Amino acid sequence: MAPLGYIEVLDSKGNVLERRPIDSFPIHIGRAYNNEVVIDDPYVCPAHVAIELDDRGSLIARDLNSVNGLRLGSGRKKRLPMLALNSGSQFQIGHTILRYRSFDHALAPTLLDRENGTSFFGSPHIAAFAGIMVFALLCLEGFLGSVERVTIAGIVSEPLVTFATLFLWAGLWTLAGRVILSRFYFFEHVTIASFAIVAFFAINAVAEWLEFLFPFIPALWVAGVFGAGVILATLVFGHLRFASMMRRRSRLWAAFSVSAALIGISFISDYANRSKFSNVMEFTGIVKPLDAAWVPTMSVDRFVENSQKLKSDLERLAQKAKPTQP
Amino acid sequence: MKCKLLFSVAFLLLTWLLWAPLNFAQGQITSPTTAEIFKQFSEQVVKIEVVENGSGAKASVGSGFFANERGQIVTNYHVVSKLIHSPDRYRIDVSAPSGQITQAAVLGFDVIYDLAVLRTDRSIKGFLSFETTPVAQGTRLYSLGHPQDLGLTIVEGTYNGLLQHSLYPKVHFTGSLNPGMSGGPTVTHAGKVVGINVATEGEQISFLVPAARAFSLLEKTAKIEKPSTANFLEEVGRQIQANQARYLDGMFSNTTPSVTLGPYSLPTKPADFFRCWADALRRKELPYVVISHDCSTDDYIFVSSEQSSGIVRFYHQLLSTEELNPARFFTLYASQVQAGNVALFGNEEEVTPFRCVTRNLQTQGGKLKGVLCARQYVKLPGLYDAVFRGATLGARNVGLVTTLSLSGVSFENIQALTRRYAEAIKWRR
Repeated sequence: MAPLGYIEVLDSKGNVLERRPIDSFPIHIGRAYNNEVVIDDPYVCPAHVAIELDDRGSLIARDLNSVNGLRLGSGRKKRLPMLALNSGSQFQIGHTILRYRSFDHALAPTLLDRENGTSFFGSPHIAAFAGIMVFALLCLEGFLGSVERVTIAGIVSEPLVTFATLFLWAGLWTLAGRVILSRFYFFEHVTIASFAIVAFFAINAVAEWLEFLFPFIPALWVAGVFGAGVILATLVFGHLRFASMMRRRSRLWAAFSVSAALIGISFISDYANRSKFSNVMEFTGIVKPLDAAWVPTMSVDRFVENSQKLKSDLERLAQKAKPTQP
Repeated sequence: MKCKLLFSVAFLLLTWLLWAPLNFAQGQITSPTTAEIFKQFSEQVVKIEVVENGSGAKASVGSGFFANERGQIVTNYHVVSKLIHSPDRYRIDVSAPSGQITQAAVLGFDVIYDLAVLRTDRSIKGFLSFETTPVAQGTRLYSLGHPQDLGLTIVEGTYNGLLQHSLYPKVHFTGSLNPGMSGGPTVTHAGKVVGINVATEGEQISFLVPAARAFSLLEKTAKIEKPSTANFLEEVGRQIQANQARYLDGMFSNTTPSVTLGPYSLPTKPADFFRCWADALRRKELPYVVISHDCSTDDYIFVSSEQSSGIVRFYHQLLSTEELNPARFFTLYASQVQAGNVALFGNEEEVTPFRCVTRNLQTQGGKLKGVLCARQYVKLPGLYDAVFRGATLGARNVGLVTTLSLSGVSFENIQALTRRYAEAIKWRR
């Protein structure tokens, strides 16, 4: 097979700076202008290396007694007088990295363009639906959360600021995407942020109802925090997909780091506040309009018996608070 | 002749009429009796100062009086409470009217009735004895003490009997007691002590500890020569513990009267020493109504300037609406159920923070959301403050939030009262 192809000059990250077709052998590479491939690198000799066919017809790179030599790959490898080249082989002369690729070099499959309108998140309909859902939820929350007489105008106007913040948030991510990817992904960011808000609403409602029905489950709030953390991580993961060139794995790491950091901060501040003294008693009793028959209960006697645990908790606190005897 | 007699009588009457108001006015300004009383008994009244050892400055000032031939002094517990809580940090200086200052030691105290007995080593000129016969309402009394540290003062007033609705018997004295007079004696014109100045509640309304309580405390401390200061706090705790049974036993049992609020029948005024109030929030602009019923004991036990105890309070709040849908009504209801309570007293050295436990409860009448919060006294072992809150479940447009608050009680009493209180909430069918 004729080993015709390209000699490519690469930068340190592997990006192609220059590409030169090989249509005959030998090819000379060096700093001098009579070379087929001219390299502007002070560490490269005027005539540094020749690409040619050996006796058996295989392609090789041969050092032309250069000062700094020929090395395989890149970096500080041993210099070689001669090097067999296959399609994709990299070698270094002076500070310059070169790569040989044959015309029939195998290619990666074509990537699907996200802007072709096939993305779920990119659909303006989905974005509009998600946005309206958020607005409706905010209105509903405002309505159910007020215990005074309200007007439609009042209900609709109240969540406007929150709603505008959603668009500002999506806009900032879009801007980041424009800078990094040179693309606008506004609908995607609106959809992602909206779904996250809806999910927060849902998890909050579920947590309240669970706590109302099962106040005896001790670590219910931990599950709530965990759920919120997952939503947060998903949010960051989704935004990064449309605002960075990070690979899937890196995005996952970034998303969970951000989420874990925020949860960690909230835990730490919670812990710091817990040890602070306070005269306030917090009644955490949640009540919901549910038929009494559906509410699991315990007898007053058992409640009173179980309060013994409260006593031992207080005993521990009192021991801690006691001034140390001299 | 007849005419002359009539004239003489008329003249006498006129003279008397003319002179009487003048005489009366003179009596007001310089009653020889009050001056005499002051002269006769002021020697037995002393000023008591609790002095901080480090700075040598006084931390509190009160009054006291010599109450027996051994020179024991009666005063209020609250006058010397700083020393009882930190015997190493304070000392008591007793100043006689002559200006002579001697140190005193606490022999015993009654934290419930706010009394203390002190001892000095100095010789005394005399002492005040206690009135043992009943005093009639309206009897003129004379209160002695050092108001605002302004020097020994005598205040006139009248005896108005024992308080009717008091957990701890107190004499109602109509006269102006002021801070600093605490611990001083209130005497009859014969110098017999009727009560010990203890508290005031605004203009002319003052309270005295009945003399009998001081007398029995003196008897208890008669044999004590040298008290152990180390056991003071234990003794405070022990006295508060022992006092509970007197007012908590049987509270909220079946015999407790009930009040009807909406569909609920609820406990009210469990004893004479409770005072109950009711009110309603009904405003046109609000789509709901709140009816409240609040009962509380007036009395409290002074433990330290940072802590009071012995108060029982409970209140019901009935919320109802004709207008709000269940979801909105429950926003209101939940906020009322979760409304945080702040304890008035207590700092980190005296009490632990509150810890709460929440459960759904099945009482004999129906279902309740129950929250029990409690905190422990750090220095007085075995004593707690506690609040139980119950909220009825199941209804859609009516809800009851009821709260029972206890202070300075044992955990066993918290449990017993919580049980009885929760079961005393009844649903009317």
